[in-house]
Amino acid sequence: MVRLKGVGNSLCVMLDPMTPADHLRTELEKLFTGLKSEVENAKVTIDVGAPEGYDELIDELGRYLKDTFKVGSVERARRKKPRSRRIAAESKVDRLRRRDMERSWHDYRTDVLMLTGRVRSGQKVTARKHLLILGDVNPGAEVMAGGDILIMGSLLGTAIAGHPEGDENIILALDFRPTQVQIGSYVAAGLPASPVKVTEFAHVENGNIVVENYLEANPFGRLPWPQVR
Amino acid sequence: MDGKIIVVTSGKGGVGKTTATASIGAALALEGKKVAVVDMDIGLRNLDVVMGLENRIVFNIVDAVKGRCKLKQAAIKDRRLDKLFLIPASQSDNKNVLDPEEMVRFSSMLRRHFDYVFMDCPAGIERGFENSVAAADEALVICTPEVAAVRDADRVIGLLYARSITPKLVVNRIVPALVERGDMLSHVDMVDVLSVELIGLVEMDDQVVVSTNTGVPLVMQKTSKAGAAFRRIAMRLNGQVDLPIQVPEASGGLFKRFRSKFGLKK
Repeated sequence: MVRLKGVGNSLCVMLDPMTPADHLRTELEKLFTGLKSEVENAKVTIDVGAPEGYDELIDELGRYLKDTFKVGSVERARRKKPRSRRIAAESKVDRLRRRDMERSWHDYRTDVLMLTGRVRSGQKVTARKHLLILGDVNPGAEVMAGGDILIMGSLLGTAIAGHPEGDENIILALDFRPTQVQIGSYVAAGLPASPVKVTEFAHVENGNIVVENYLEANPFGRLPWPQVR
Repeated sequence: MDGKIIVVTSGKGGVGKTTATASIGAALALEGKKVAVVDMDIGLRNLDVVMGLENRIVFNIVDAVKGRCKLKQAAIKDRRLDKLFLIPASQSDNKNVLDPEEMVRFSSMLRRHFDYVFMDCPAGIERGFENSVAAADEALVICTPEVAAVRDADRVIGLLYARSITPKLVVNRIVPALVERGDMLSHVDMVDVLSVELIGLVEMDDQVVVSTNTGVPLVMQKTSKAGAAFRRIAMRLNGQVDLPIQVPEASGGLFKRFRSKFGLKK
């Protein structure tokens, strides 16, 4: 509800202004009590998630912080002016293009967890980002990843990709017969199994989990150059 | 004597652990080995009934482990086989009465007295399972061709690997006709999922019920297909690793045999 972040030489408090002031004060007390020496005379900004409004709340909390924890100054967090979306999008593409054309992924530090072997019933594998398994995932096993899940073998258990809210992620298996798949906030169960072993992948399309033949759909083949995922 | 402790387990109940323990134990005793079968299902003992020794029980494993009796007093000699001994479970205690350290100590004593010790593990993966596998050198995982049994066997195999025990698989209660029709999991599919070494395939056999009720070991019944399969498993355990695994086949009619003779059978 209340989060504290160091920004430059100041502390930024992010909070939800809809929460009752008493509750916010208790949360602030919890956060600031542990940092007593560091917060004295510190510059504190309060980010209520909106550029305007809630002045009274900010004033009230500011007074409280100054009185209780002797912070130096309290003011509203000033947000950078959002650039027009089009320019932002273009510059993102430009940035990606420059980075990828320079092959800067050479220096890219990855969070991919790559495992070999069989994940058995009752076992649970969790990866921070992408998960690659050279082996099978048996029924009753669970594999979970913050990013994509790629199984170079049979997927017969449960796979949870994009945990907790990465709807863009995919789950791929050379033999795709899962008990259940979850991508971000979407869940799919009872997927019809293909009669023959084909490489399939699950992804979210229009709010539904769709399973397609990977080689036919070739979802990433259309990207013009290799990109870091 | 430095015997081997083999745990017979499955995860799921009712797949034939007790029958397998009694049969393989008897088969090895027939081969001339000194064998103990230990009922680890404390509170729900039934290996004694399967072996027809229920009226001879005076002491049980809990007494032996706790030092209330000697091992010799707790080990009941089989009625027919001189080299087969049963160490029965207690019926009045529960599984928490023993702990894995006690079992490790008890097992080292068993190793000194027997060539092979079979631990008949209870269903489940709780204390009874932990006690049974605590001192095991090898493990036999019994699994029937059912999805639920495979799921539980898979879990148990994972737990055994975690204890550095490499299990061997026995597929029990195969009905060849159903497998041929595609209505039952084939042992190939099971090995595919479980990926452990297969040590035997046992066909569904009515003789098992007869044997269980009469206490006559299955392996001593000449006509029993399951008995023969358990004998072959025992031989493989006893060092004959090259003995080929026979795949149960549906006994077809005259026409089917005729077709297979001419290579027309699928």
